[in-house]
Amino acid sequence: MIRKEAMEIAVKEIGEYPIISANGYISRDLFNVLDKKSNFYMIGSMGLASSIGLGVALKNPGKRIFVFDGDGNILMNLGSLVTIGSMKPKNLIHIIFDNNSHESTGGQPSNSKNVKIGKIGESANYKVYNTNTKLGFKQVLKKIKNNSGPIMIIVKIKAKKIVSQRITHRPIKIRDRFMKSLEKI
Amino acid sequence: MKEDIQRKLFDHLLKNKISNFVGVPDSTMKYFIDQGLKKKKVLITTREEEAIGIATGMSLSDSKSLVFMQNAGFANSLSTITSLVQLYHIPIIFLVGWRGYLSGDAPEHKKIGEIQPDLIKILKLPSKVITEKNWKNVCLWAIKKNQNNTACALIIRREFLD
Repeated sequence: MIRKEAMEIAVKEIGEYPIISANGYISRDLFNVLDKKSNFYMIGSMGLASSIGLGVALKNPGKRIFVFDGDGNILMNLGSLVTIGSMKPKNLIHIIFDNNSHESTGGQPSNSKNVKIGKIGESANYKVYNTNTKLGFKQVLKKIKNNSGPIMIIVKIKAKKIVSQRITHRPIKIRDRFMKSLEKI
Repeated sequence: MKEDIQRKLFDHLLKNKISNFVGVPDSTMKYFIDQGLKKKKVLITTREEEAIGIATGMSLSDSKSLVFMQNAGFANSLSTITSLVQLYHIPIIFLVGWRGYLSGDAPEHKKIGEIQPDLIKILKLPSKVITEKNWKNVCLWAIKKNQNNTACALIIRREFLD
């Protein structure tokens, strides 16, 4: 499964709930798979999608908040797991698309194959699920609907050089429509 | 800044609807942070960039946030300020300690203390030094900036050595 295929599965299950997506190909793929007002495309600030997601989750306890992260991104901000694990937001679902590489910058290897991010997540009070198939991912997404978080889903994906187009919305537009969508949902 | 003013500063900001205080501690403002901890309004993070990310998420949820840090942490934050806070116009109030303000401060603070005013200027981040005399007016200024979706920085000098 490649990232875009995994995302197609995820967005179907997530529906209108907010998604905060990491910089690089993660946000670009999400934009191409399903652009919606409740997507916050974090195009800069490497590594911080899970932190933004935590802030949104803490202030919107009645809504399920999804973070689309990558292995490179979470490895840059492992401290975020500590803070999330301390605050224990029940409504935060942290999906990590793991291809063991920094695909957006040319496919350099990341160290996610040498350590177990899921174990770190467990130590940080996450409920952790691992999957590497489409069916498995679908099942996990269905299963967690009645679970409380913080939940981490690690989806192993294959690196494949399919490049989605850049996000065409201006950052202020991304901000404004995301804020409006939070008021509605 | 004296203990009682630091505590008053916190209470004043909270009263003016700044609801979240996120950051990495600094002894320069320890009473300010302590006041927030007592009122359960402070979230301590592992790094300053993380604090800015969390505060951004809260701001996007229409809940106003202040991020506090040392100036060493301000140096950590440059990319996050340019590519998140300023890119998306996120109205965060930064409260930044100014170590290296006194010439006899510890050696690790000397360089950053020297370049801090220029760094803030180059970033085009509106800022004011907050003191025991001007704090109420400076707060008013920061709250107005916040209402206009503009990030700004309040700089608090470290006027003692230990």
